[in-house]
Amino acid sequence: MAFLEILGLVKRFLGVTAVDQVDLAVERGELVSLIGPNGSGKTTLFNCVTGYLPADGGRVLFGGHDLTNNAPHRVARLGVARTFQQVSVFPRLSALENLLVFLQQHQEEQLLARLLRTPRLRQLERDAVERARRLLDLVGLADRADASAGTLSYGQRKLLAFAAALMPDPELLLLDEPAAAVNPTMINQMKGHILELHRQGKTVVLVEHNMDVVMDISQRVVVLDHGQKIAEGPPDAIRRDARVIEAYFGR
Amino acid sequence: MRRAAAWVLVAGVLAAPWLIAAAIPRQQRYVLHVLIFTALFAGLALSYDLIVGHVGSLSLAHPAFFGVGAYTAAILATRAKWPFLADLLAAVLAAAVVAALVGVPLFRLTEHAFAVGTLGLALVAWIVANNWVEVTRGPLCITGIPKPAIALPGGPTLAVTTLPGYYWLALGALGAIVLLYRRLTTFRLGRTFHAVRDNEPLAGAAAINPLKYRLLAFTIGAALAGGIGALYVHYLSVMCPEEMTVALTVNLLVIVFLGGVGSLRGVLVGAVLFTALPEVLRLAPTWRLVIYGTLLLVVVVRSPEGIESLLRRAGGARVAR
Repeated sequence: MAFLEILGLVKRFLGVTAVDQVDLAVERGELVSLIGPNGSGKTTLFNCVTGYLPADGGRVLFGGHDLTNNAPHRVARLGVARTFQQVSVFPRLSALENLLVFLQQHQEEQLLARLLRTPRLRQLERDAVERARRLLDLVGLADRADASAGTLSYGQRKLLAFAAALMPDPELLLLDEPAAAVNPTMINQMKGHILELHRQGKTVVLVEHNMDVVMDISQRVVVLDHGQKIAEGPPDAIRRDARVIEAYFGR
Repeated sequence: MRRAAAWVLVAGVLAAPWLIAAAIPRQQRYVLHVLIFTALFAGLALSYDLIVGHVGSLSLAHPAFFGVGAYTAAILATRAKWPFLADLLAAVLAAAVVAALVGVPLFRLTEHAFAVGTLGLALVAWIVANNWVEVTRGPLCITGIPKPAIALPGGPTLAVTTLPGYYWLALGALGAIVLLYRRLTTFRLGRTFHAVRDNEPLAGAAAINPLKYRLLAFTIGAALAGGIGALYVHYLSVMCPEEMTVALTVNLLVIVFLGGVGSLRGVLVGAVLFTALPEVLRLAPTWRLVIYGTLLLVVVVRSPEGIESLLRRAGGARVAR
């Protein structure tokens, strides 16, 4: 069985079927892109996989666990990280704390240990700060570590949210439009980061509208239209696929 | 320099009974009474701020928890003759249990609905206190609650019968609450609370169970309010349903939001200003409410984030939290 296995997933909003019987299997270490016109159900699919929306049918399996209709924090706890299309940070925490908070729930969570601040917890915290500073450095935010996340620019918040998702060293990353609404330099930077994750053996699923990014880095592309999977294959084949062209440009 | 100033302040607060006796002997009792109220209100406001300031849930149920603690202590101390420390502990536990039980359904509501739900709880608690006459004596009040007596290990009993004695007891309780408040609102636990407050969906992605941490802050805040309730009735020796009306919530909202929501310093300053000030203004009884109301308006207009933000700006570039 594949690392991430989505089986016949269905999600309806009132009369609209946003995700319609979608099957998707992602192998460990794969870099897969999910594309499709606006409203084709890409983000809804992410939301169903990560517990943000209850599915109306089908199953989601990940590394031997059944993720179907689990709460978001449980899905995250199992090693699935996601980012949001609408840039999302904790505005009143500092940039550094935004990263720290993404790791700590995977470590000691006992109330008493946290109140007493046991030596073990203090050591974990020191290591976490070190890791967070390395990640901030990686995305070029080292000098903004102590700034409130709410005061950062749009692009900086996007990078911060990306770095935060990496904090617990997740096995599977679901990235929702990491290259949208940012400048070309940052798009290249983001491409580099994603390829580096791929090189490290992480499994990445990408929702992205920027075709240069998608065609450049994906091993496999999955196309959704009106909630249905209409095509799947290597980038070159997808580029020439008649159904895909029709979905994007009309007949 | 700042450190020295802080120690002078602590020493001054501890020595207040003697300082007041030396400076204004004729008014010592009255001033100490105001200070005891201020300490108790500061503790209550901090317990409230754990909920509204740190997990961002606008609860209006605090009088209910204060009342549960107050009545638990009052009834156990008068009818069952429980010793002070035992009824204090029972008051803390009773308020915590009530909060944990009502918290589960209440937190299914969000934002405004949650506020209205908690307001309903406060009203129900007040109605029960008024009408469950067999237990609470209703409007007749529970009277004759003894002064606290703490059994020291090894035999002797420390009876807190004087005003200075009670002042130090209230101060000790406030000190304990401040320490707990700091432990809860900084480091990993504080960060988790703040993550839930600032962005609940994202907190889920950070593997935080928002409901769990909201409930935790709610229960601990309620437990502390119950403890303050016990101290309060042992001080006044009377507990009446009027002590747990919506007026208490209004007081707490004024202290926390005008002092500085989510800030230890802000809430303490708020408690001192808005508990002691109305008393000081008693000197001009006709103008009391006018001056108090004007002051509230000025703070709201000039510094909507509370007095804490004024202090922070006055402190220059120092970034305080």
